[in-house]
Amino acid sequence: MIGTDKRTGQVSHFWLHTFLVIFTILSTYPILWVIVVAFSGQQALSFADVPADPGFLDRLRAILPWPQTWSLDNFTDVLTEQPFLTWMLNSAIVAGLTTILGVFLACTAAYAFSRFQFPGRKAGMMAFLVSQMFPGTLLLVPIYIIITQWLGLGNSFVGLVLVYSVTAIPFCVWMMKGYFDTIPVEIEESAIMDGASRQVIFFRIILPLAKPAVAVTALFSFMTGWNEFILAATFLEEEVKYTAPVGLKFFVGGFSSQWGYFAAGSMIISLPVVLLFLYLQKYLVSGLTAGGVKG
Amino acid sequence: MSIVASGAAYREQQADSSTGIGGFLFHPLALGVLLAVSIALYMGLWFVGQARTEITTDSWNRSVIQELMGLAEATAAIEAADKDLSSELLSQMLPRLPGAGDADATYRVLRLSGARLLASTNADDVGDMAAPRRLNRDEKWLFDLGQGIRASVQTNRDEGIFRRRHVEIDEIGGGEVRISLPYYVDEKVTGIVQAQMRPPDTTSSGNVWLALALGAGAYLLSLVALALAGPDRRHKDVAKEKPWALFAVGLVLLTLATFAFARFELAGVEKTYITLTHSLAGQLIELKETVGFLAGEAGVSASPDDDNGWDVDLYQRPVGIIGGSGDVRQDVLQEQVGLIAERLGGALRWNWALGALVLLFFGLGYARRLRRTVRDHKSAYLYVMPALVGMLVLAFFPFGYGILLSFTGQTVLNVSEPITDLFVGFQNYITILGDFQLFQSTAEGAVVNYQNFYWTLYITVCWTIFNVLIGVTLGVVLALMLNTKGLKYTNIYRVLLILPWAIPNYITALIWKGMFHQQFGVINQAIQMFGGDPIAWFDGVFSSFMTGLVTNGWLSFPFMMVITLGALQSIPADLYEAATIDGANRWQQFKHVTLPSLKPTLVPAIIISVVWTFNMFNVIYLVSGGSPAGANEILITKSYKIAFEEYRYGYAAAYSVVIFFILVFYGVFQTRMTKATEAANA
Repeated sequence: MIGTDKRTGQVSHFWLHTFLVIFTILSTYPILWVIVVAFSGQQALSFADVPADPGFLDRLRAILPWPQTWSLDNFTDVLTEQPFLTWMLNSAIVAGLTTILGVFLACTAAYAFSRFQFPGRKAGMMAFLVSQMFPGTLLLVPIYIIITQWLGLGNSFVGLVLVYSVTAIPFCVWMMKGYFDTIPVEIEESAIMDGASRQVIFFRIILPLAKPAVAVTALFSFMTGWNEFILAATFLEEEVKYTAPVGLKFFVGGFSSQWGYFAAGSMIISLPVVLLFLYLQKYLVSGLTAGGVKG
Repeated sequence: MSIVASGAAYREQQADSSTGIGGFLFHPLALGVLLAVSIALYMGLWFVGQARTEITTDSWNRSVIQELMGLAEATAAIEAADKDLSSELLSQMLPRLPGAGDADATYRVLRLSGARLLASTNADDVGDMAAPRRLNRDEKWLFDLGQGIRASVQTNRDEGIFRRRHVEIDEIGGGEVRISLPYYVDEKVTGIVQAQMRPPDTTSSGNVWLALALGAGAYLLSLVALALAGPDRRHKDVAKEKPWALFAVGLVLLTLATFAFARFELAGVEKTYITLTHSLAGQLIELKETVGFLAGEAGVSASPDDDNGWDVDLYQRPVGIIGGSGDVRQDVLQEQVGLIAERLGGALRWNWALGALVLLFFGLGYARRLRRTVRDHKSAYLYVMPALVGMLVLAFFPFGYGILLSFTGQTVLNVSEPITDLFVGFQNYITILGDFQLFQSTAEGAVVNYQNFYWTLYITVCWTIFNVLIGVTLGVVLALMLNTKGLKYTNIYRVLLILPWAIPNYITALIWKGMFHQQFGVINQAIQMFGGDPIAWFDGVFSSFMTGLVTNGWLSFPFMMVITLGALQSIPADLYEAATIDGANRWQQFKHVTLPSLKPTLVPAIIISVVWTFNMFNVIYLVSGGSPAGANEILITKSYKIAFEEYRYGYAAAYSVVIFFILVFYGVFQTRMTKATEAANA
């Protein structure tokens, strides 16, 4: 099946391509579906009206991802009539701050775990790992109490940013630590010889060397902030403060079924993450495998 | 490395510092005493503040309740005598109640039969809305409140115990409080009387200056003790030489400070209580005159009996401190004061114990050792600190709190009560794990009880296994294909196949929900295209399970594919060449070169993906929602629904703790197995 044999190479490549093309079409179909619903200018689920007694072709028409008319109405409506633009801006603020804080927290902690021997190091790393197993539903009620009642940060972005950054810490720390471990200690030792302080070494030497891992950490933190909606729906009370996911849920949640708005909104929300994701994916692979192998 | 060297330098510095005046002022004993006394007294201040706040709030509540009881008794007497007159008389009476002098205070009297508002001083109830009138739709809450109180009284009478409150105290926002209690005609709850008021600010604390003075005094005395111990002693590491002697000195100082504080504050609290009780008695005399006079106008009489049925607790039982004529019963008062002193005193004793522990920590040199450790590894702890603090506050503390919650019966109904009153022991766990009634017998024979924990566990395990299997199989197969040498367009395939991972998963879940729609969804259209019948995806247990599986499979294969691809590319080509030279065929190469090289990457990826899938909330919650009838709920969505749709916080917490232990068990098992296979391979 998977042949690179020189004599049969052409034939097996043909079958490979056939399989891959079919699989790719199937796997991108839901994405095409969203795009087409978004550009259809309607709120309906299906691409075409199915007549009362449909034949094979009518059915085929209904599943073929091509709208009856192309229209930008859903996009303009979502951006102008609905407060979607504000929600996007809110999401950008939350995700941006989460990225900055998340990267800072993960890099510093991972550096310490990678480079220093200190009492509590193993216990600390183990605790970070175990915390990944805490069920979110167990933490939700206490976190709500801490953020809203103790810290007084309910209905504010700061509370969300804090929770998101901390959520991303364990995974990021383990991954960053794996990467830091691959950077030779000799570099730092020679820098110390030259009289550099820890801070200088960390910010000027180690962080630039760990760029791929930092990129993955940033991406992970950003996605955490950009995509989360349960906590956001719990914490944020005013409509003007909603993040995009909370807003998006409105269109198809409960009894409303504005699939057109949902599709248009989904595309707008997904676009930045997908682009970032594709741009950073080579780092992602090296970062994840580095973390995985060393883990 | 240099870190070790710097640690040694710190230790030398440390040795130097203990000889100067700084070493004297920050001697472990002095520091320990300062810290122990501070902790004991700071917490003491808090407890005293709590006790004072409770006493003043309680006393204010009692004064309002007393007034309402007087009003209730007058109302009952008037209602029993002449129903038609009651509204007019009550309307005259309400503004003349002692508490009505307060501008924010308003009163209402409601007769339950006919939902009639008999009298009201509320600012809204004038003109067309003036009492007497029938309640309108917006005031249904008032009627419901009355019904609730009637039901509570009835329940308590039926059971012969006092379980549900007769007096309702509601905080209604804006700093206002609404207190309602029933009035009885012929022993039956006929209606309610209600006061709405702004309570005085009762937050209070202990005497801060006293605490500061005592803390400073203890610290200075400890310095004096050190000075008396002689210059030799204090310059050496005394903690090492005579730890017990120093500890004893510190303990005496701590005890003196705490004792003085407790004496002073307890006396203050007792005095406050006695003063408040006397003023309550004074109010009663005033109230008796007003109510008695007004009731007399209706030709009836209303006055408390000897036991004083007007000064009552939340179950309308007489408190018994103030007699019916407004006399304070000294023996009961002393008993009550004794109880308060005992409770507060107990809390202060615990504070002392905590202080003693801190002292022990310092006195026996642990503090010094800890400080040394921190100093030796200063930069390490500095770097870990931000993340660690974040994790402690927002992950580990909530976790501990959640575990605490799992031993309580907290629900949305009793969420305002202190958590210590709600402990139920292991009851929640017994209910979850001890319920083996997996099958229920109905008219149609035995059916599975989908609410049972073990059914949900079974579904979750199936869900996890199948999902990871699909993800890994698809991911590895696709990665192997894309890794084929000389294959064109691999970058295009790769980018397109990675898309499902890149799109936020709640969006994905909602998309698939739309595609599985019974009438308009494309999947049913495709089935009908080939002549099949449309499937009601979310009505069957199996088909509903499939929707989740397809959605999550679609979500998760790109992760495995990318991971595998990365690992495949890092396998050195010469390994394959060597294998080819040795005459290995493609299958043998795959089995002996590719798979072992993939293992270090794939095993962690599988472990993490098992945990992710086990806790994959969005897909189940958004696609099928656990339908039909909760049969396809996995553990995590089930616990969410218990917490946020049934509002049983304690039970949901116990459910989540069970989930946690399942995952921990898995983690341990997995590590053992990995180690065992590694050992077998080695």
